[in-house]
Amino acid sequence: MFITFALITLLGALGMLLQKNVIVAGLCMVATFFGVAGLFLLLANPVAAALQVIVYTGAIMVLVLFVIMMLNSHEEEKAQSTRPIQRWVSVVLLVLLAIGAVKLVMSSPGVKSLAASGAAMPQAMTLQKLGTALFADHLLGFEVAGLLLLAAMIGAVALTKRNL
Amino acid sequence: MDKLASLLHMTPAIFWMVVKVVIVFSAIMLLASVWTWVERRGSAMIQDRIGPNRAAIFGKIRIIGLAQLLADGIKFFFKEDLVPEDANKGLFWLAPFLAFVPALIGFAVIPFGRSFESGGVTYYLSVLDPGNGMGLLYPMAIGGMAVYGVLLAAWSSNNKWSILGGMRASAAMVSYEIGMSLAVVTIFMTTGGYDPAEVIKTQGHLPWAWNIVRQPIGFIVFFTCMFAETNRLPFDFAEGESEIVAGFNTEYGSMKFSLLALAEYSHLMTASALVATLYFGGWQVPFVQNPTVMLSVASFLLKMLFFAWVFVWIRWTLPRFRYDQLMHLGWKVMLPLSMANLVFHAWRMSQGH
Repeated sequence: MFITFALITLLGALGMLLQKNVIVAGLCMVATFFGVAGLFLLLANPVAAALQVIVYTGAIMVLVLFVIMMLNSHEEEKAQSTRPIQRWVSVVLLVLLAIGAVKLVMSSPGVKSLAASGAAMPQAMTLQKLGTALFADHLLGFEVAGLLLLAAMIGAVALTKRNL
Repeated sequence: MDKLASLLHMTPAIFWMVVKVVIVFSAIMLLASVWTWVERRGSAMIQDRIGPNRAAIFGKIRIIGLAQLLADGIKFFFKEDLVPEDANKGLFWLAPFLAFVPALIGFAVIPFGRSFESGGVTYYLSVLDPGNGMGLLYPMAIGGMAVYGVLLAAWSSNNKWSILGGMRASAAMVSYEIGMSLAVVTIFMTTGGYDPAEVIKTQGHLPWAWNIVRQPIGFIVFFTCMFAETNRLPFDFAEGESEIVAGFNTEYGSMKFSLLALAEYSHLMTASALVATLYFGGWQVPFVQNPTVMLSVASFLLKMLFFAWVFVWIRWTLPRFRYDQLMHLGWKVMLPLSMANLVFHAWRMSQGH
């Protein structure tokens, strides 16, 4: 199961990068989101999987595709002339990012507890637990995020509607 | 049952799963195709016409026109399968499936009858057993996926009417999803759980304890949003004969068109099942404390088909909204209503009711 979902995720991501057609690239991204949702399920977190599908594929990607269709760019655009240095910089940054990510994952307490034998199986996440986690343990972060989103929303309205 | 399972070299659990999947999905597909006929007969009844009653098997067996389904099926299979010249071929093929599959699998989590015990094992009458952790988030997630079928069918046809129809439909679906979600969240809150089995259990068998009585505003919002979600008539902006021909499925013919139509009706069935589950006590039989399994399934089917009929009824009664009216209704009426509903029930719960 893990291999299936991981393959869907990786192939979707690759397809999105290599695909010239914007809409098909967007669909590849949807496949990636589905793969990630499947991985969440395997990690005993069905709530995160459902929210991933509802929020990312059901809303955000739809809006992205919507905008692409509205601009109606059927033609594939030629890339602007690239400078070779850009490639090298991107490769270096990518390697750094990969090293950092792997280090972070390997040093996380979750991975350490996997090595310890006889560790308790994690309980499946439920919506109730998610609620308590958000409103009891991470209340400040949650409120700040809400405020940020509100600010972004007001900003969007102010930008698009010059004369209210 | 165990014997049958061992004959087929399967464990009873897997056998039961397969049986459930086959029953549920074939039932939905059958009901969806029957509903294409019900729609036409219903519209004829409402408009004082006769409707399709002529098709007959071997020219004799008419069964009040139900043979029309067979005739339609044969016709769709033998029609020429046209793909427009400039269409994106791959996506043009993919789109009907992307529309059909979410419409079908959204039903998986809904219990269509009470659970029963046999040989010390509890059998649940829903494809996904309760306690799967997804609960009612699952049909919402799958419902969100239905947009892709419409959007892709529209875009891949490479036809401006199609794109216009697809964009109008997807904009409507995305806008109404928010009001719908808030209505469902209110139910999660008053139930204290988000599993459909729990939602049904807390509603009980007395009709005045069902969510329709406790949250009438939530029901109005949810039901209205379901019309937008399924692209049914007061809000069917995917189509519009006078403006954009048949909208997103203008270029579709033969079996691909049939799949898109079946997707719409399967979606309608899932939506009615959701309404029955959330607001009308699911499989609960009014005034019967412990109904038999068959009775509970019959009760659920009756409720579901009633709402499926309401969908047809309203389609042929109300005229189509204008696009700005639809957006106005979605954002300025339905969303505040469901928010008010949510806050009101939160307040009531805080008062200890």
